[in-house]
Amino acid sequence: MSGTRGDAPTQRHAGHAGCVCHAIDTARVLAAVGDVDAGGNVLFVGTARGTTDGAVTHALNYDAHEPLAVATLDALRRDAIARFGLVACAVVHRLGTVPPGEACVAVATSAPHRAAAFAAAEWLMTAIKRDVPIWKAEERPDGRREWLHPASAPRPGGGS
Amino acid sequence: MLSSDHRERSPTLRIAVFAGMADLVGGRTVEMPWSGGTVADARRLVAERHPPAATLLSRSAFAVGSHYVADDAPLAADDDVAIIPPVSGG
Repeated sequence: MSGTRGDAPTQRHAGHAGCVCHAIDTARVLAAVGDVDAGGNVLFVGTARGTTDGAVTHALNYDAHEPLAVATLDALRRDAIARFGLVACAVVHRLGTVPPGEACVAVATSAPHRAAAFAAAEWLMTAIKRDVPIWKAEERPDGRREWLHPASAPRPGGGS
Repeated sequence: MLSSDHRERSPTLRIAVFAGMADLVGGRTVEMPWSGGTVADARRLVAERHPPAATLLSRSAFAVGSHYVADDAPLAADDDVAIIPPVSGG
């Protein structure tokens, strides 16, 4: 799906979006957005915290409507490329059990200059948390599991 | 054999559920007899069958395949329906 050299920036769709059920290879996510036209490359990695508001988290557990999640991640990735004039963008979300310290989500962006790459990564993380049908549970040391469902419903169609 | 099974079995709507909604209904799918109707009809039937899920259901969206659908959208028994509660990824 990559654009060829000479395409207008908004028509390029280099990179990928997906979900995995194993450890995220963050170096590979970053490598996916490398390009000779990109002078700024940003990798954001969200990791599982060992405590939340003082409560110990044994692990995070992620569930997803996988086809809709992958479609929404890819729509957001393409939207980010168009909005911020990115050279490339890659997004990977982990599903299943994630022990503290391990990556839950990785977003990589590349742009001619760093400002767009940083802004796009921040925008993408906000959009992912708001729009993608993926759910997180905090598993307590005693085995209790609490699914997190914030106050608002997901926005149909994703993006904004 | 097959045809008599087919005659006796009424159309069934199978709805995929996730995360806290799966805990509340006690499984990964909700099944119910379905002779046709809209998303709003399915929403009401699920709430009647699983009262503990009613509050979260009222804050949830519905999807068919990989598209969200509105409450007035019709649902067929063989549609790939899912309930999408408020999300918390990332």
